[in-house]
Amino acid sequence: MRRQLTAVVSFAFVATNGAVLAHHSFAMFDQENPIELEGVVQEFKFTSPHSFIILAVKQQDGSTQLWSLEGAAPSALVRDGWSSKTLKPGDELKLTIGPLRSGAPGGSWSVSKTKLKDGQPILVSQ
Amino acid sequence: MPVRGSIGAVVLATVIVTTIAAARAHDETKYPDWSGQWLRTGGIQWDPTKPIGRGQQAPLTPEYQAIFEASLADQAVGGAGNDARYSCLPVGMPRLMSVIFPMEFIFTPKTTYILFENNMPRRIYTDGRSWPDHPEPTFAGYSIGKWIDADADGRYDVLEVETRHMKGPRTYEGSGLPLHKDNQTIVKERIYLDKTNPDILYDEITTIDHALTRPWTVTKKFRREHNPTWFENDCSEDNHHLAIGKEHYFLSGDGYLMPAKKGQAPPDLRYFNQSKK
Repeated sequence: MRRQLTAVVSFAFVATNGAVLAHHSFAMFDQENPIELEGVVQEFKFTSPHSFIILAVKQQDGSTQLWSLEGAAPSALVRDGWSSKTLKPGDELKLTIGPLRSGAPGGSWSVSKTKLKDGQPILVSQ
Repeated sequence: MPVRGSIGAVVLATVIVTTIAAARAHDETKYPDWSGQWLRTGGIQWDPTKPIGRGQQAPLTPEYQAIFEASLADQAVGGAGNDARYSCLPVGMPRLMSVIFPMEFIFTPKTTYILFENNMPRRIYTDGRSWPDHPEPTFAGYSIGKWIDADADGRYDVLEVETRHMKGPRTYEGSGLPLHKDNQTIVKERIYLDKTNPDILYDEITTIDHALTRPWTVTKKFRREHNPTWFENDCSEDNHHLAIGKEHYFLSGDGYLMPAKKGQAPPDLRYFNQSKK
């Protein structure tokens, strides 16, 4: 079920880059050659050691491919005003990600490069 | 009745004196105020004054520089290199003191504990003990510390620590910068507050290791958070990175294995019954 996030402008927050705050190497994600993705949140995993956005991305042939996107730890996201409820299944997002070097549907996501599909920032609280 | 009254008074006095003595056994006024939550001020690299990876200019021996270069090359194509932390392996010392996530100090008379948001605690024994003969090695090692009153004002202000008896594999940072596989590392620390700002803490860390051409000293700087929040941060909760054999794989959005490196072969399934075609 889709949920339209209210396009309320959030205050300024510290941009959270998953690679900067990772407790392990993020080198498997190609940060030098980022790609744009649009899709629908299937699941927002607010879990340790890293958060995940499982994103359903429509393919050209009409099928859907699930992308596994790794981000900052929940404790780091909370310090940026995020919570386990910031994203919900059905949210439509536009992201710039660092893709897996293997070409498989996975990558890294970051707060600063994640917006609603219409370009508005994600609503957070603080 | 006067005799009973006297006995009661003696007992009461004894109890009071004993209680006071116990309180003085751990005189908190002798210790610095390192209370609260401490956050790193730099990035996740080992030497915070230099870039991660080759930029660290680590004084590695030629043998270990080659091991490091191989790790970087593996990471450049999607592998994990030497950085085993992706599979939730403890980082151990000295990398624990990069404090990727916050830490807290707890002082007791015989032990100083460092609690980490995402790692097992460190125990630093301050009871004057000698080194044990053959302790079981651990990733965090065995730490003996000594409180120093450097400015002779009657209050400790520096904690000097030495750590030995570590096990591996260990690296300094996520680039896979390696320590020697012989695990003969010695780590020496001096931990103290900034003299002008009590909300800044320094840890001067010197690593002595056979993968190095000389002792390597870096200074970590932490800031005190006055409005802390603590989180549960357990690597085993939902880790999507898997180590199978010597390969690193990644879990898909629907829970299946995916390659992390281009052209990576699937895992060896020799222990599975596979139908012959």
